[in-house]
Amino acid sequence: MTNLYVPKLTTIKSIVTENGANDIKTFELVFKDDNDLNEFKYIPGQFAELTIFGKGECPIGIASSPTESGSLKFTVKKMGTVTAALHNLDVGSTVGIRGPLGNSWPVEAMKEKNIVIVGGGFAFSTLRSLIEYLIADEYRSYYKDITVIYGNRSKSEVLYKSDLERWQQRNDINVVLTLDRAEDGWNGKVGFVAPIVKEVAPSSENAIAVICGPPIMIKTSIPELEALQFTDEQILSSLEMRMKCGVGKCGRCNVGNKFVCADGPIFSRAELKQMPGEY
Amino acid sequence: MNEKILLKEKISDVFDALKGENDIIAPVKTDWGIEFRQIENPEDIALDYLNSKVPPKAIWLPKVETLYEYEIDGKDVKIKTPPEKLGKKVIVLGIRPCDAHSIKILDTFFKQGSFEDDLFQKRKENLSFIGLGCNSPRETCFCTSVAGSPFNKQDVDVFLTDLGEKYLVETISDNGEALIQQLPWLEDSSEADIELAKEQERLAEDSIKTQVNLENTSKLLDNNFYNAVWDEISATCLGCGSCSFFCPTCHCFDVIDENDYANHRGRRIRVWDTCQSPLFTLQTSGYNPRTSQKERCRQRLEHKFCYYPENYGIVGCVGCGRCIAYCPVNNDVRDIIAKVNNIEPRTEEAGKT
Repeated sequence: MTNLYVPKLTTIKSIVTENGANDIKTFELVFKDDNDLNEFKYIPGQFAELTIFGKGECPIGIASSPTESGSLKFTVKKMGTVTAALHNLDVGSTVGIRGPLGNSWPVEAMKEKNIVIVGGGFAFSTLRSLIEYLIADEYRSYYKDITVIYGNRSKSEVLYKSDLERWQQRNDINVVLTLDRAEDGWNGKVGFVAPIVKEVAPSSENAIAVICGPPIMIKTSIPELEALQFTDEQILSSLEMRMKCGVGKCGRCNVGNKFVCADGPIFSRAELKQMPGEY
Repeated sequence: MNEKILLKEKISDVFDALKGENDIIAPVKTDWGIEFRQIENPEDIALDYLNSKVPPKAIWLPKVETLYEYEIDGKDVKIKTPPEKLGKKVIVLGIRPCDAHSIKILDTFFKQGSFEDDLFQKRKENLSFIGLGCNSPRETCFCTSVAGSPFNKQDVDVFLTDLGEKYLVETISDNGEALIQQLPWLEDSSEADIELAKEQERLAEDSIKTQVNLENTSKLLDNNFYNAVWDEISATCLGCGSCSFFCPTCHCFDVIDENDYANHRGRRIRVWDTCQSPLFTLQTSGYNPRTSQKERCRQRLEHKFCYYPENYGIVGCVGCGRCIAYCPVNNDVRDIIAKVNNIEPRTEEAGKT
């Protein structure tokens, strides 16, 4: 009998502290059993349930891309019981994992299109996954212009610094970084994400926009995208709700008749408008 | 169909004949009312009851169920599964038609989507129902409004009708046929027995006085998420969760680690949960999308009478009336639906911003 709720076992291979506040870390996990690795076929935008045995389980977006084979990465902010316990673990410790779960960024439907990625703060992990996927050698030619706008409150809060540098050195992806306030030694833009979207003004022509970040950033950026003629079908976002099972059974993450864990977490703005605003 | 007769004093013979390869679960009288329990002594079987307080749902969705056990050894962990026997066949004797139907609703739910819940499925596969017609529906019953009836036989394997000193025994399914073959001593029924059973059925259906009109309810719920009616409906609700605890179709669960720190081991369990608790949707950040009882009351109604019809084409309610009978402030789902039905129709797609 297969049991939906039993996690596979992984070992923490590496831990990177992402921010100055030391409360966001990226954990690289490797499966103890190679079969589990082969079975874990995911698409950017999906998430997994991470287990710290004795503490519980929590849903975390997958930050690595399937094009980076061999391990999985999860960027986790220290927030509650499970994430605090995860932050206390060392390299070599065991973490349980169930997944991949949820739908994904529509990487097939995005083919032959211009891609606009708007992110803010630490809600950037599945966007990192998406970017790595889009620019991977085997996929880059399927996608047209790629524009990334990523905002943070301060320099020390910027995630994936080495990845950002690597992306900025490429000429086939436009990476625009911004900080809320100016800081010494900052070469990027200064200002909230919404006005930067207006300034960069990515074309909505044959484009899909993906937006993830704090609610206020989404709320202020969407009118800017709309001013650029992005339609509700062209704007995608990811919802977060409290989850337990991650497989549409425990019943707590629904928004209207959709389970965010199973039907989502990614919805177009057109879909969100059909759902009650209870999220 | 060939009907048989079972004399009431021979219930213990049924138990003796079927107990060999089956666990027999039946209603038992306890200090706090009728409860479904595994039978050791057939004298405990109490079939002269209206309905159990807690539904027999716990047989196929236990209040506490171990998902797996684990042992922690330094940085390593071992998982043990499955932790308990799920293979044993179970006969539920004397289950009411409404409760028998509830498992169909749960089955629809647990099968939907990309994932099947094997723990539930395994339990369900091993179940047989010997149902018991409902001669005396309660004042709170409204099964006939949700496509059921006190004598609905479609969800059981064998159906019993109480004829006073005896039961009329009808074989409904192949599985029921196999059970009846183990009771070759059942007596033949007469025309009069069958007529009497039909009379009981007619009387029972006539005794259900309340009808709930669900014709437009799903659409009205969909269009009136932000209607002021929810303030009125939720005004007296205490958020105690009794309605969902006693509900045969409420299936939401919490997942918890029960850790034995001293011995470096533990188990992950799932336990019944309720959408009526603020903790149900409280996020780690402190944000809660359902801030008050209004949102939580609305969720329960929307789920059963809007999302279920929209997603699976069925109503998530069997009309057993337990949520009415055990609500401490006498909230009545029949009145609540009537209030929803009385919302003035609106022409625009309202309330979806």
